Parts: sequence; C-alpha cells; structure tokens
Amino acid sequence: MAASESWLVEELERRGVSRREFVGFCGVMASIFAMPRTVGARIAQAIEAADKPTLVWLEFQDCAGNTESFLRAGRPTTADIVLDTLSIDYHETIMAAAGHRAEEALEGVVSQKPGGYIAVVEGSIPTGANGAYCTIGGRSAEQIAKEVCGGAAATIAIGTCAAFGGLPAAAPNPTGALSVADAVPGLKNLINLPACPANAENLAAVIVYFLTFNRWPPVDRYRRPLFAYGKAIHDNCERRAHYDAGQFVENWGDEAHRRGYCLYKMGCKGPVTFQNCPRVGWNEGTNWPVGCGHPCLGCAEPDFWDKMTPFYSHIAGVPGFGVHATADKIGIWAAAGVAAAYAIGGLVQYGRRMVHAKAEEEKGGQS
Amino acid sequence: MTRLVIDPVTRIEGHLRIEAEVDGGMVRDAWSSATMFRGVEIILKGRDPRDAWAFTQRICGVCTTVHAIASIRAVENAIGAEPPANARLLRNLIMASQMVQDHVVHFYHLHALDWVDVVSALSADPAATSRLAQSISDWPLSSTDYFRGVKGRLQQFVERGQLGPFANAYWGHSAYRLPPEANLMAVAHYLEALDWQREFIKMHAVLGGKNPHLQSFLVGGMATPIDPDRQASLNMTSISHMRKLIRGAREFVQQVYIPDLLAVASFYKDWAGYGAGVGNYLAYGEYPEVDGANAPLYLPSGVIRARDISAAEPFDQTKVTEYVTHSWFEYEAGDGEGLHPARGETRPNFTGPEPPYEFLNTDGKYSWLKSPRYDGLPMEVGPLSRMLVAYVSGNESVRQYVDYALGQLGVGPEALFSTLGRVAARGIETLVLAEKLENWLNELQDNMGRGQLDIHDNSKWDPASWPKDCSGAGFHEAPRGALGHWVHIVDGEIANYQCVVPSTWNAGPRDAAGQRGPYEEAVVGTPVADPEQPIEILRTVHSFDPCMACGVHVVDRHGRELVKVRAQ
Amino acid sequence: MNTAASIDSAAASAVQPQVIRVYVWDLPVRLTHWLLTGSIVVLAITGFYIGHPFITAPDPAGQEFVMGTVLAIHFFAAIVFSLSELARIVWMFVGNKYARWNQMIPVSKARWRSAWEWLKFYVLFRPVTPRFVGHNPLAGMTYMLVYAVCLLSALTGYAIFSVSAGIGSPMQVFSVLVPLFGGLQTARWIHHLCMWLLVLFVIHHVSCALLVARAAKNAAIDSMFSGYRFVRPEDLEAEEAEE
Repeated sequence: MAASESWLVEELERRGVSRREFVGFCGVMASIFAMPRTVGARIAQAIEAADKPTLVWLEFQDCAGNTESFLRAGRPTTADIVLDTLSIDYHETIMAAAGHRAEEALEGVVSQKPGGYIAVVEGSIPTGANGAYCTIGGRSAEQIAKEVCGGAAATIAIGTCAAFGGLPAAAPNPTGALSVADAVPGLKNLINLPACPANAENLAAVIVYFLTFNRWPPVDRYRRPLFAYGKAIHDNCERRAHYDAGQFVENWGDEAHRRGYCLYKMGCKGPVTFQNCPRVGWNEGTNWPVGCGHPCLGCAEPDFWDKMTPFYSHIAGVPGFGVHATADKIGIWAAAGVAAAYAIGGLVQYGRRMVHAKAEEEKGGQS
Repeated sequence: MTRLVIDPVTRIEGHLRIEAEVDGGMVRDAWSSATMFRGVEIILKGRDPRDAWAFTQRICGVCTTVHAIASIRAVENAIGAEPPANARLLRNLIMASQMVQDHVVHFYHLHALDWVDVVSALSADPAATSRLAQSISDWPLSSTDYFRGVKGRLQQFVERGQLGPFANAYWGHSAYRLPPEANLMAVAHYLEALDWQREFIKMHAVLGGKNPHLQSFLVGGMATPIDPDRQASLNMTSISHMRKLIRGAREFVQQVYIPDLLAVASFYKDWAGYGAGVGNYLAYGEYPEVDGANAPLYLPSGVIRARDISAAEPFDQTKVTEYVTHSWFEYEAGDGEGLHPARGETRPNFTGPEPPYEFLNTDGKYSWLKSPRYDGLPMEVGPLSRMLVAYVSGNESVRQYVDYALGQLGVGPEALFSTLGRVAARGIETLVLAEKLENWLNELQDNMGRGQLDIHDNSKWDPASWPKDCSGAGFHEAPRGALGHWVHIVDGEIANYQCVVPSTWNAGPRDAAGQRGPYEEAVVGTPVADPEQPIEILRTVHSFDPCMACGVHVVDRHGRELVKVRAQ
Repeated sequence: MNTAASIDSAAASAVQPQVIRVYVWDLPVRLTHWLLTGSIVVLAITGFYIGHPFITAPDPAGQEFVMGTVLAIHFFAAIVFSLSELARIVWMFVGNKYARWNQMIPVSKARWRSAWEWLKFYVLFRPVTPRFVGHNPLAGMTYMLVYAVCLLSALTGYAIFSVSAGIGSPMQVFSVLVPLFGGLQTARWIHHLCMWLLVLFVIHHVSCALLVARAAKNAAIDSMFSGYRFVRPEDLEAEEAEE
C-alpha cells in the first residue's frame, strides 16, 4: 500500500499536481455528492491507498454513446481514470488487443479475480433468435453477461439501454432486448446509470463513491443513485421561474424562445424526469439540452422511447386515434358528441311525451 | 491454408468479425460479418416523423450527429419544410466539428495503436524525441522535459503491472516500424488528443446542449435560438467560445495531427501498396453553401469508377440497390434480387450457427449487414471517396493539401488507392474542414448583426400542414461516408423508414454476383507475418473507421409482419 | 328503514295530487354532491390550464405567478375534492337508505330488472320513467364508476405531487404508486384522461337530470337542494315491497 501511495503522490507531483490540488479535486467529488468538504480528504486517501481496481466494460446492443461520454470525462479526465485510477482490462472500443487475445483478457479477469472486479454494461441484451442478435467472439451477449456480471463484485448498467432496455426494447422490441437486471436476474450490487447517454460526471462520481466507501450510494426504486437522479429536472430547472409565472415558448425561434422561457408547451419532459442535468450540466458543465433551447426528452426514465413520445407533445395521445390525436382533441369531440346526443334525445323524448300526454288526455276524456 | 478469425475487431464502434483465409503469408480471401442487430426501422413505424431524428441518432453514439441530420433532411424533403439560413449554418458547424473531432479520435485512439508500439516508447530518448518533434512542428509541448515526463508516466504505468486496455496487444510485432522516439511522441499525442477532443467537442454542447447525442435538432430548422441581446440564446459569448474552440482545433490539426500523420506515414510507405479495395468511390457531398434544394456543396457529390480520376460522374440515387444474398435477411422475390431502398424490403432471417460458435458458414448468409451496390458495383465511401471526388471536381483546398501530402511523401496519386491513402485522406479532410469552420461561424455572426434571427420554418411544424401521403430522402456525408435515409409518411405517421449507411457500403458481405464488399476486397492481398497476430488485417480494416452499429439496420415495407421475437 | 323517508302527503298534494313528497337526499349527500361539483369544475378548469397553458404572462418572471397560482388553486380544490369523496364513501355505510352502497352496486334481482328498464328508457327515449325513489339502479352503477374515476384521478394526482413533496411531507407516501401507474408520465396521462371522463360525465349527468326531471315531474333537480323529491305512491309501495 505504501508503495502505491508514494507512487501516486510522486506521479501527481511530477505532473505538476500538488497534493493540495488533488485533495481539492476530491473535494469537488464530495460536493457532487453534497457531502461536507472534509470528506474530500477521505476520498483522497481512499484513491491513493487502493490498488488500481479492475474494471471490464461490456458492449452489447449499444451505440457506444456511453463510451463516448466516458471519453468526455473531465473531472477526473479519461486519461487519469485509464492510467491511474482503474485498470480497465477490457473495453472493446479503446483496447489495443483484438480478436481472441481480447477475449483472453476478459476470461483472465473472470477466472482469476472472481468477485474482485467491477463490470460495466453498455447496451441491452437481446434474447431473440437464441442470442444471435448480438454475438462477440461467437458467444451471445446473454452468455457473456451472465458469466461476467455474475462473477463481478458489482455491476454498473450504464445508459438507458443497459438500465431499462432502451431503444432496442422500444415497441415492438424486434430482438427481445432486455435490461441487465432482467437478462441476468438476481444480480447483486447492480446499479443503474440511465440517460442517453449517461453523464460522464455521474459515472466518475459513482466509481469514486464505490472506491471510497466500498458500497454503492443509496438508490431509488429504479436502482438509480439519489445524488444524481433524486430530483426532477423541472424542480432544478433554470427556466422554472418562467413556468411558475406562466411564460412559455410557443414557436421555435420566437421572442419567448430567445428569452429562455419555459419549454413545457413544446413537450418538455423535465417535470417527469429525474436527473441532475441542470445542476452539473454536460461536457464539464458547458450546457445542457434545455439550456440550448430544446425540450427534455426524458431519457433517464424507463421506457422513455414509448412513454415520453411524441417528444413535442407534453402528454401522449390516446392509442388507436393516431399519433397526433391529443387527449384534448378527442375529449372536446367526445364532449360535443355527448351533448349533441342528449340534445337530440331530449327533443325526441319531448315529442314522444307530447304524444303520450295527448293520448292520456283523450283516454281521460273518453272515460 | 489457415482460417483465422478476428472477433471482436476492437477499437471500432460496434461488433465486427473478420474471417480470413491466409496462405503463404498473405490473405487469400476474407469475409466481413456484423454480429449485432437492433431493428431501429421496425421501431420507428407508426411514430411521429418529427421524433425520428432522436431514434435514428441513437443508431450511433460515436458519429452522434449524422443520423439525426439525415433524418431531419429526409422528413423535410418529404413534407416540404425549408430550414432558414441560420439552421443551415448551425448544421454545417455541428457536422464539420463532428467530422474534425471524430477523425482525430479515430487517428489517435482507434487507429494509432496499429502503427505505434507503445512498449517501444519505453526505450526512447526524450532529448531525441524533442528534436524529432521540433523538426516537424511548432507545437509548443515538445521539450525534453515534457517527453521525459510522458515517458516516466508510461514507465510507472507499465511497472505497476496492470496494463489495462494496453494488455495482450501485439507489442514487439515485426510489423511495427517506428523508431522508439516516434513511438514516444505518438504516445504523448495520444494522451494530448484525449484531452483535446474533450475540449473541442464543447462546440456541440454550445450548439446542441450536450455531446454525445446533442439535442437541438428539429424538423424544419434548429432549436438553438440566436439573439445577440439575450442571455438564453446563442449570443456573442457563444460565438467567442466557439471561435476559441475552432482556432484551437485548427492549431491542433495543423501542428499535431498532420505532422504526426506524415511522420508515421513516411515509415509505412509500403502500405500505399496494400488495402486498395474495390476501386469504386461514391460521395453524396456535404456542406451546402446556400439555402434551398440542390444547393452547391463545399465537398461535392460524385462517383468514381475503377480508379479513373480523370472525372467524376454525377451521383444518381436511383442506381442504388441492396442485396441480401449473404445477409441474415430474406426478400420476397428471392434472395438473388437487388432492391432500391425506396422499394426495399427485409425480414430478419438468421440462418447462422447457434452461439457459441467457432466459424460462420460463409458460403451462405453470414452478416447482419446488407450489400448495397451502385449500378451493380460495390462502392467505397468515406474520406477517401470525398477527397477524390473533391480533388477531381476542383476543390481548391483539397487539391492543395492532397498535392502537398503526396509531395511530402514522395509518392504519386496512385498511392491514394490504399490503406495509407485512406489514412491520409482522413487527415486532409480534417485540415480542410478545420480551416473552413470559422467561415460558417462568421456568416452566423453576420446574420446576428443584421437581425436575421430565424432558426426554424414554423409553417410546416403542424402535421396538419403536411401532404397526406409523402416520401422523402435525406443525404449526408458522415465521417465514415455517404449516408442516406428514406422516409415514407402517411397521415402524419411514419409508414416506412430506411437507412443506407456508410458501414453497410464498406463492410457489407458479398452480393448475388459474388462480388466482395470493400472491406473484404481490401483485406485480400494483405501480408500476414504471423496468423496468430494479424495486425496487418487490423490496419486495413481500421483504415475504413468501421462503425458497425450504424451499418446494421432493417427495412420494413408496407406494414408486412416481421419475424416476431418474444422475450423469454 | 322507511323512517328515513318522511312522508308529507298534505304538502305534496297541494302541488300535485297524485304524488307524495319524500325526503330522499340527506344533508351529507347533498353537501358532498355540491362540494364535488364545485371542486370538479375548479379542478377541470385549472387542470386544463396546467395541461395546456392558454394564458401567457407578459411581465418579468419574478412579477408574475400565473401557473403557480393556478397550481395552488388546483391543489386546494384537490383537498376539497378528496375529502368530499372520502366523506361520501363513508356515508355510503352510515347514511340513509338512499345513500347506501347497495344503491350503487345492484345486489338484488329487482334492481337488475329495474336497471334493464332504465336502459330502455334512456336508449329508446321513452316518455315515462320506470318506477324509482332514490337513485335509479342504472344511475347508481354509473356513480360507482364515477367514484372509481374520481379515486383514480385523486391517486394519480397524489402520485404526481408526491415526487416533489417537501421534506417530511406525508404526501411522499404516494410515490409508491408511481410504478403501479407505469411511471410519472403515464400517471400524468391517466390523470388527464380522468379529467375528460369527468367532464363527459358532468355533461351526461346534467342532461339526464333534466330529462328525468321533465319525464318524471319529480323535482329531481330541486331535490339536490332541498332533499325532497316527489314520488308516485305506488313507486314507494313497490320499493317497500321489494325490501
């Protein structure tokens, strides 16, 4: 341990990073978790003390968007993570080895470090066609996931595809795609980091949290860490004041849009989406989707491709009436229909009552 | 005859498998197979066409803008929306910065390790490395101390014994030819590029909220409001930020990427003789310079056949057909047919071995990719195609830099038809676009100054304003090549959607006539010194910059029931 | 239980010799009816605004609070609505015989037969109503459905509210319902649809009340204020015989 600590301190100093700056970085990590700054010192100790933990990153039915997001990590940077923090022994998109030698690296981790590595899964796992919809090295995604995640100390399902099934699982789910939780049932220490893609800051924070406290952060009912997914985007949004005031964008590029009014009427799903985008931003806090004028798509929520669509309507239509028929349009027509039916019925009944009364009258007159 | 399998092909996007027959130290035959399928087009059916860009965007997270652009263009073409000038400029900025960032990442992080021996860098002399670096570039990070630091970091990384992503590679292979100093310089720039790409891509955060999967696309325009007098809009703060990023990118490309490329290439000139491929080149063209349909493109469209660079013939989209003879799909009229995408049909039909398997049956169907053909011919798409077409069509910048690069390496234009030519063309394109980016930024700034703030064609936003039945096509040049989306809209819903993607063109299997796809053709004839360590095959395959998630797609015609697959 | 219906034939015969005046709707029934009516109207109008904000405030955000105010009104109306609904459900078990749950859910064969007669009355626009005193069985069943819609509406509303509820707020309990409704966005959708179902019901209810009041000449509408309704003596006898 002493050797690795001195290694880190030397390394940092040689790269012009003082110990103070390093502790400062850990303080930033602590503030992401809203912990007191003194905890930063503890994180610093933990990172220094640890041998580089092993991480393997599996890609299944994915688009590599989470890998790209990981490459945008700035605090700490990807280079820091790859070279200093973790030993990333398998990651198809960045690893130098290829073919069976790449697979040997994965097999080596699984067989030599049972229960001693972190597995990251990106992409959903198809179960259709006996697994032929995604194979790597001739093995199906499901076979690989069961073996690798089953032997891991902990598994991170990164991105909405791995966490909830995502795009491949959107209706009609042509390939029988499943989330990690569903494809590998009973997995211990599984944490979901949904969003499309997951924010690099949150991935870094989760890893540092795990390394520091040796446990996952508390999670919500969808296994998402509360520090990143504990609050609705709407409740944190920089445009919230415009919502409460009743000020909304009505057309793209109009005065309200340029002034940064609320995007609720353009279909924003911020009120039903839980993530810290407005708080931490993307690409080292440069911006976030609502900040650039586009409504939130709700990408961190389960089944968002089916439940949050149509994206430009704040509420979905009624099945069977076409994609553009809103509940309001149908409701107004139904209300008019019911009113008309009763108006006609009332007239008919009135007529029949007149006839009935006349008949009664005549019957009375005869008696 | 040795049958070798590379699966997974790493340092690419997606899941690619190469099977090759090697005899006498050379590849005699090869098969390219995509091993992942999602069915995005099936999922798109019946949805709002204005949502389609977000779905197709998720086809690929590496080239994260390209399917969104092709999709909004296809839908705009169908419904008749006309995005205003600012939308065109915003899109050009987004597309070109994607191209620049993606090419640099490809060169350093996906491709360099085929040419650069990281372990050899450990024996480099920092002072000699510094002299080498300073002899080829003015880049300031070039002191002896700097390279000593990088070497020290690498040394300690290796000594710690956990090689992580650098383990199990072919270090020390005889095909690595760079001197230790060049290797050390490349390792230093590998790390610098990792930081640079993270910084430069903030362009996309400014213009699209985030990267990957930026979120400012709209059918009919863009969602980024422009107003120099509002803090919630793209204003002068944003322009200044982007100007800084663009200039930084230009410097990095001019002073690091291009010198490195030429330095590495000078040690591997024999690779101008390998990996030629099919010799037919297709480009749809990109970067409209004015608004409206058929606008002149900065990088023109065209077709080059059989390496004839005397002139490019015009591209005619009706000549595109797709085959499924060797793909895990089936056609109603028989698997020997070739169908135009607008009439395309596909039903997944997996006939391969049940996993786990050792070899694919390459006499039958063996890939999730179809085989697109142009006028019956396999076509290579990508930077090389674009640069050849632009060169032939007389683009000044392209001509200048192609001639410069050929002159520096002392080779003739025929050297372009090769693995090395592909690598060089990618670098030249990056340079041309890095220098062009600021022009579009200036145009955008001028529009702002004139109070021209439109970003969207509102007249076609309401689906009630669309024709009841309409079709459209959207074309785009992605970093990896020519990309086309076709959409059919009925009653405001997607009736049919299809994508013909660069990696389908390049990585597709054989067609009905048995013609190999570009990867397969390019790999044939590649020398393989050690079949256990087929680094030479990787060099050629990587030179195309494979992006498999993009390539695998399925087309569904006229609501036909597809194979139903149920989750177990 | 016929003590609950006080008969004042003298008063009734002064108006119309053939009918008698019966005290049908006791006070809690009338009170909850009108509180529900009022709150549904307020909830529907504010809810429609929340779903589709048709007024845009012009001034700086800090000086306006249109959506905020509408939301606050919506929440207060929701409290009235929920408590009224709850009170009415309690009254189904302790109120008079016309307020009872078995007026809503037909358990006897006679009420099922009567429901069939009422269906024919409505569908065929018959001029004369079948015999009844309190809720007619068909209307009773409809009200049961309406209570279910009201309950669903309230629960989805609580679920949506729960995720932003304050520290220590008991409303947080309702967040367990979110996955049962298929997520927040779907809960929102159900909530929105419930509003339209209630709007449709209100149109139907008012129209029917008018139709029945005209056809039966029983002061059906006035009865929701006074509690008294005019009933043909044979209807009352038939009802008593039924028990």
